[in-house]
Amino acid sequence: MPKQDFVIERYDPATGRNYEQQFTAEYESGQTVLDCLNDIKWTQDGTLSFRWSCRHAICGSCAMKVNGRSMLACKTQVTDIVGRGDPIRVAPMGNQKVVKDLVVDISNFLDAFERAETWLQEIPDQAPPSREYRTSKDEFDRWSHTATCIHCGACYSDCTVVATDPKFLGPAALAKAYRFVFDSRDSKKRERLEFLSEKHGIWDCTRCFMCIEACPKDVLPMDAIMELRTEAMREGITNNHGSRHSNAFRGGVRKRGRLDEATLPILSAGMRLGAIPELIGYTPGALRLLKSRKLLMAAKRHGANREGRQHIRRIFDEVEAEKARGAVDAEAFAAERSSALMAH
Amino acid sequence: MKYAFWPGCVSRGAAPELYTATKAVAEHIGMELVELEAAACTGAGIISDGDPYLQDVLNARTLAMASKMGLPLIDICSTCIGVHSLAVEKLENEEYRARINERLAPEGLEYTGDTKPRHLLWALFEDLEGDRLRSLIKRPLAELKLGPFYGCYILRPERVLGFEEHPHRRRSLETAIELVGASVVTYDGMTKCCGFPILTTNKRNSLTMAGGHVSEAKDSGADALVTPCPLCHLNLDAQQYDAARVVHRELDLPILHLPQLIGLAMGIEPGKLGLDGHVVNTKPLLRKAGVR
Repeated sequence: MPKQDFVIERYDPATGRNYEQQFTAEYESGQTVLDCLNDIKWTQDGTLSFRWSCRHAICGSCAMKVNGRSMLACKTQVTDIVGRGDPIRVAPMGNQKVVKDLVVDISNFLDAFERAETWLQEIPDQAPPSREYRTSKDEFDRWSHTATCIHCGACYSDCTVVATDPKFLGPAALAKAYRFVFDSRDSKKRERLEFLSEKHGIWDCTRCFMCIEACPKDVLPMDAIMELRTEAMREGITNNHGSRHSNAFRGGVRKRGRLDEATLPILSAGMRLGAIPELIGYTPGALRLLKSRKLLMAAKRHGANREGRQHIRRIFDEVEAEKARGAVDAEAFAAERSSALMAH
Repeated sequence: MKYAFWPGCVSRGAAPELYTATKAVAEHIGMELVELEAAACTGAGIISDGDPYLQDVLNARTLAMASKMGLPLIDICSTCIGVHSLAVEKLENEEYRARINERLAPEGLEYTGDTKPRHLLWALFEDLEGDRLRSLIKRPLAELKLGPFYGCYILRPERVLGFEEHPHRRRSLETAIELVGASVVTYDGMTKCCGFPILTTNKRNSLTMAGGHVSEAKDSGADALVTPCPLCHLNLDAQQYDAARVVHRELDLPILHLPQLIGLAMGIEPGKLGLDGHVVNTKPLLRKAGVR
């Protein structure tokens, strides 16, 4: 049987010691990282700690970092990740406090679901149907993939926003919120969208795609966050930075065909009293930009050529009319969702 | 070698040095760039916050323009290549494509699905023979230790970026640093988000990201970072002093645009590469590299 080296990041809470330890395990084709970890634990070091249970990507217990990326150890075959003789590096999930070795404290991750109230809020005072509460196939197709989340935390572990803001709701809870926002049996759509549009919600996502890449169940959390943004704006929940930024950006492109860097920060901050300290905050940076001639270039306000601008404006007008008639944005998301799910 | 060239908004706005450097390098190696002057901003994933369909129409239009010219499309921005590539994937859906083509028809354009947008970083290695590319390196930058900084959309989602067909794209930036004879410094943050997309929505968080990556690179021994994304450049260079305040340390780490690095190693004068147009002074770096 071939042999493979593993370098495992360890932490001993009794002594507070962090260290790396190398092990060698034999493996057969088809064996997973989890199989090797169990082999190491059972035959070499019984103190090695990690969570696992089902061994077939259902329970969501064994998420960890393998070669720097979060994944389920039970769904990752050794042969798929062996390099040219390099050891496989195993580490605990990120963005959470390590309890021991590969075990992390997932309470912050689970709290996010509570904060987002990701359970059905029934429509009050309705007469129950004779059988079950039904939903349409189209509606189910829109969110069923998000309902397959197994709460493994791989997305949360790799999320670049949680890394700098532990209060960010995170990809999994937001994807679960999406599932209820678009479920017509839920009564709290508007309240949900208002809550999700607040700080630490949908507008704090950087769109880095880490969660989409990490998710072992194709929940496509970031796409769900993006669709929540569109829906919140459609519902008129626009008194926030993110919406203002998107509208200002769009306005610049409508006018000149290109991003208008000179006015974007001002329009994003908005015409309100609270924006004043924020705009003052931009001045030292703006002065440095001025010195490097960058602001001067931005203020020159480049754009598409004349003919281009005419067509770009025509497209904006036509799309606005089209939007007023039908759900073209839902079609855009559906096209993205189907190709993403097909490819994964 | 002739290309349909989409410069992106930032190289025509706040990062003009990227445009200058791209033109200089292209001319030096005989790439003819035909600029898409009538094309629109990609929307950068921001127009799509409220108007995903509109963003797709704008990008289908750009893809169709390149197709009509019969030229391969080149981007010089990680965000542009990411948004273009995602549009290509979505437009494989024939029903959706037909709907979008109705918006393009008045201009005599049609997107047929045959445009494969590429970043300059990929095209360099895919269109130039390795020997020819190496022979163009007249001034190896052997003294420099450089950290890559990719920008999210040139790495993720992998499924739309042709990584299976072109595995070299996974570490294209390291390959570019090796090509110019410098040493590669790797660090955790090199494939993460620079923070730019949330600069106006959550400035503190955005600058914590930028400051964190620059700190980490510096601690790993990097003399400078190299990026194929002008938006990353804005957060890592133009915002670096604000980011330094947020992470409570001095940073002063120059950030180079990809074509500036290539151009320097090809012996192009720094002045022609816009290296004096940065917020973080690049002169000490040039001295270390032995470039006057």
